[in-house]
Amino acid sequence: MSTLAPPQVKTTALPELEAVRAKFPAGSILPQEGLDQPVWIVSRDVLFEVCRELKENPQTQFDMMLDLCGVDFPDREERFEAIYHLYSIQRGARLRLKVPLREDDLVLPSMLKHWKALDWFEREAYDMFGFRFDGHPNLRRILTHEAFQGHPLRKDYDAAKRWILTEDKIYQPHFDLPDNSDDMFERMTINIGPTHPAMHGTFRLMAVLDGETIVASDVEIGYLHRCFEKMSETHTWQHVIPYTDRLNYCSAFINNVGYCKTVEKMLKVEVPPKAVWARMILSEFSRIMDHCVCNGTTLVDAGGLTSFWYLFQPREEIYGLLESVCGARLTVSACRIGGLIQDLPPDFEARCRRLVDMIPQYVQDVETLVNKNRIWIDRSVGVAAISGEDAVNWGWTGPCLRASGVGYDVRRAHPYDLYDTLDFEVPVLYGGDVYDRFRIRMLEIRESLKMIKQLLDRGMPSGPWIVDDPHVALPSKEACYNQMEAMIYHFKLIMDGIHVPEGEVYNMVEGANGELGFYTISDGTSKPYRNHCRAPCFPIFSTFPNLINGGSISDAIVSLGGLNIVAGELER
Amino acid sequence: MNNMIGESWVTTTFDTLEDWSTRNSFWPFPFGTACCAIEFMSTVSSHYDVSRFGSEVVRFSPRQSDVLLVAGTINDKMAPVLKKIYDQMPDPKWVISMGACACSGGFYRAYHVMQGIDEVIPVDVYVPGCPPTPEGLIYGILQLKEKVIRERERFRKQNRESKDQEKTQSVNAGAPTS
Amino acid sequence: MSQPLAQSPQTTQSTPTRSPYPTEPKPYKPGFAERLYLPLLGGMLVTMKHFLKNLFNPSRMYTISYPEERRDYSHRFRGHHILTTRPDGSVRCVACFLCAQNCPAECITIEAGEHPDVNIEKYPTVYEIDMLRCVFCGYCVDACPEEAIIMSNNYDMAYFTREQSIVGKADLMKPFTFDENQLGYRPRFPEEDVQRSKMRRDAFNLVEAAKQAQEREAHKAAHS
Repeated sequence: MSTLAPPQVKTTALPELEAVRAKFPAGSILPQEGLDQPVWIVSRDVLFEVCRELKENPQTQFDMMLDLCGVDFPDREERFEAIYHLYSIQRGARLRLKVPLREDDLVLPSMLKHWKALDWFEREAYDMFGFRFDGHPNLRRILTHEAFQGHPLRKDYDAAKRWILTEDKIYQPHFDLPDNSDDMFERMTINIGPTHPAMHGTFRLMAVLDGETIVASDVEIGYLHRCFEKMSETHTWQHVIPYTDRLNYCSAFINNVGYCKTVEKMLKVEVPPKAVWARMILSEFSRIMDHCVCNGTTLVDAGGLTSFWYLFQPREEIYGLLESVCGARLTVSACRIGGLIQDLPPDFEARCRRLVDMIPQYVQDVETLVNKNRIWIDRSVGVAAISGEDAVNWGWTGPCLRASGVGYDVRRAHPYDLYDTLDFEVPVLYGGDVYDRFRIRMLEIRESLKMIKQLLDRGMPSGPWIVDDPHVALPSKEACYNQMEAMIYHFKLIMDGIHVPEGEVYNMVEGANGELGFYTISDGTSKPYRNHCRAPCFPIFSTFPNLINGGSISDAIVSLGGLNIVAGELER
Repeated sequence: MNNMIGESWVTTTFDTLEDWSTRNSFWPFPFGTACCAIEFMSTVSSHYDVSRFGSEVVRFSPRQSDVLLVAGTINDKMAPVLKKIYDQMPDPKWVISMGACACSGGFYRAYHVMQGIDEVIPVDVYVPGCPPTPEGLIYGILQLKEKVIRERERFRKQNRESKDQEKTQSVNAGAPTS
Repeated sequence: MSQPLAQSPQTTQSTPTRSPYPTEPKPYKPGFAERLYLPLLGGMLVTMKHFLKNLFNPSRMYTISYPEERRDYSHRFRGHHILTTRPDGSVRCVACFLCAQNCPAECITIEAGEHPDVNIEKYPTVYEIDMLRCVFCGYCVDACPEEAIIMSNNYDMAYFTREQSIVGKADLMKPFTFDENQLGYRPRFPEEDVQRSKMRRDAFNLVEAAKQAQEREAHKAAHS
C-alpha cells in the first residue's frame, strides 16, 4: 500500500468562506482545493467556533450536517482525520472540514449543540476509530456489540478478527426519565425487538411507558452491521459493487449507480449515453420499487394487508425487468464502473412502456383504499410529526424531509446525468407526519413514472453500453478471443484491478431515502483506501426516540414504517 | 399411543395422518434481517404464495412455530438473540438457512459477521443464493418436507426394530437353554 | 481530557434570523365526508372489483404454481454454475485462475494439472465452488477468457450439509447442455447469438452422430 502524502495546500477564493476564515486566527484554517467541493483543514481548538460561525453566518448558512466520518493514515504524524461534510440547502453549497488528530489525543468537541444530526455520527466515529467527543451525553458503541474490543476501521485492525458476545453482556438501557416519573401510576419498561415483526427484523426499541404513553425511549442498532466499509478496503474497486447492492436492498440499483458515479468521477471517465439513459430509467424504477415496499409495509404495520398485496405486484414486475437486464432480481450488481454489466435486452423499451402503463393503476387502487380512509387518517395524521426546521437540524433528506415542507432533492439541486433536461416536480407537503410521508411517496412514484416516460420518448441512444477504455472496463469477449492486446488488457484488469488516481471525492445521488453519498479516498492502488457511505437512513433513525416520546406504542410502530428505515443501509 | 394400544390399524393410520399434517403445515418463524427477508416477503405475496404449501401462517412467536427460517445476515450482535429464539421453540423443530450470509457468512468475511448460523444452532436445509429466488426458497421448503418424512419413517422403523428385538430377546430369555 | 474543548456560547449573540423552513408541521385536515367514513365505500369497491375479477377469471391470477409451472426468467439469469465442455466432452477450462481471482466471495478453488501432451493446455484437476459462499454476482463469468464457466438458469438448489454444498468438477459439468433455454448468464454477442448457438448445436450434433456411427460400427463388428 502506498502512503498518502498530506495534500498540498491551495487557496480558494470563495468570498463568503474567506470572510469567515478572516475571523479566526491565521493558520487555524487552511483552505484547500478539493476535486468536488472546497475543503478546509481546521485545527481542533477552533472547530466548535468555526462551525457555529459557518452555521449562523447568513452568508454561509451551513444549516445541515450531512456526514461525519474518520480516516486513518498510520504513517502520518497526525494519524487520524475527522471529516465533516456540511451543506447549505439555501445556497446549495458544500464544504468539507478536516480535523487532523494525533493518536495520543483523540478528543474532539461534540457539536450536538449546532447539529443534532451528529448524535449518532459521533457515536459511530467513536466506535469505528475511537475518537472521543467532549460533551456527548451518551458516547458508547453503536454498530458493534458490547463485547467488542478495538476500533475496526483503523488500518491495523484485522478485517476478520471477531469477538464473541455472550448473553450476560447485552446492553441494558438507561433512560433520561422526566422528573415526575416516580409519581406515575403505571410505569413499565418494555423491550421490542430485535426480532419483533414491527421492528422490521433488526431494530431494538426500549421504552418506558406510563400507561400506554411512551415517556422515554432508547433505540439500539447494529444487529445488521456487516462491515461494508472495512470490506471495501479489502476488495478491489470493481468488487465493491456487489457489496453496495446490499446497502439499501430495496433499491439496490441506485446504490450501484451512486458508487460507480463516485469512482467514475475520480477516474474522470465519460459514461456512454446509452448507459446513462438506462441507469436513469432503472434508478427511477428502483425508487418506485422502494416506495412500494415502504408504503406497503407501513400499511401492514397499521393493519392493512390488502395494499401490501397490491403494491407488491408492480414490484414483482420491476424485478422481472431488472432480471432481464442483469440476471438477478434483488441484488442486481447491474452497474460496472464505466457503464452497465451487459447490453440492454432487445425488448427493454417495450417492457418499460408496459410497466409505465401498468403501475398507475396499482397506485390508484391503494390511494383509493387509504388516502381518505378515516381509519388510516386517525392512525397517521399528526403522528411522529416533525417541523422542517428540526428535520434539517437532524440531517434529514429525501421524502421524509420533503414531507416536512423542505423541498430539497439532489436531482433538482445538483442535477446529475440527464435530470436537468427532464420536466419533473419535486413534491412537497407540510404535515411532517406519517400521513404526509406516505402521500409524498405516492406522489413521487407518479413523478418517477413521468420521468421514465420522457426518457422513453427520447428513445434509446445507440452506441456501446460501457466505456471503451481498457484500463477501466473489460474488453468485449469477442475482442478477447481475437486480439492479443485485448486479451492482455483483460488479464491485467482482472489480476491487477482498476487503478484509481489518488484523491478523494464525495459524490451524491438521490437515493430512495434521501441523499446517498459515497465519500471515497484513493491512494492510487487497486483497492479503495477508504470508502464511506453516507446513508440517508442513519440521521433519520437517530431522531426516532425523540419522535415517538409522548405518543403511544402503536404510533411508534406506524412511524417506524413511515420513515422507511432499511437496516442494510442504516448499519452498513 | 403405540405404547398404550400397541401397533394396530388405528395407530398406523394415525401416524400417516400425523405425517401428512406435519409436512403440509410448516409454520415458519421468519427470522428475517436483511435482503433475504425482502425475498421472503415476495415468497409470501401473491406471485409465489407460499400458502399453497401450508406455510402461510407466519408466526412471530417462537412458541407457535416449528420451522425457523433464518433469512439474512446474522452477526455477532444478533447471535445470542438467534440462539434464544431457537431454544424457545418447541420440539419438533427445524431450521432453514436462507441465503449465503446465513449459510456461511457469504462474502462478508468480516469482523462482525457470523460465518454461518451453524456456529450456534443446527441447520436442516441450506438454501444457497444471495438472495435465493422465491422458487429457490420454496424448493428448500419442499426438500425439508421430504427430509422430515424420511426421518420420521426411519425413526418409526428403528422403533419397531428395537421393539421386535426386545420381543425376541424376551422370548429367547424364556427359552430353555440346551 | 479535563478541559472542555466546547466553549460556552458568547453572550453578545445577535438575534437569530427567521428560519427559512417551516417551524410548525401543518397536518392534513380531513374533510366532512372523510369524517363520516364515506370514502371507505370506494375502497371496498376496489377490493370487491379485484375479488370478482379473480373469481370469474382465475386465469388472470398472478400466482405461479411453482414446482409444476415455472416463471420465465431471461437468458441472463444468474443461477447454478456450469463448466462448459468441448464437443469431445473434455472440460474447456484451462485453469488460468482468473475466475478465482475475480470472485469477491473467494469461493472458487482450482488445482491445475498438466496434460502429458505439452501441446494441450493445462486443465483443472480440482474445480470446486462453495455454493453457500457464492453470491451469484457473475464476476467469474466476466473473468473467464475461455467461456469455460457460465451460469445456468437453474435455481433449484438446497443442501442438507455444508460438505454437500461444495460442488466439484463433475457436478458442474453435468448440467451443461446446448439447449439455450437452460443457460443463464454468459458472455454474449447480441448479433451473433443465434448464429453461434446454431453453430454450437451443429458441432455437438455432428460429434454425437460420429460417436453413434462409431458405436454402430463397433456393435456390428462385435456381432459379425
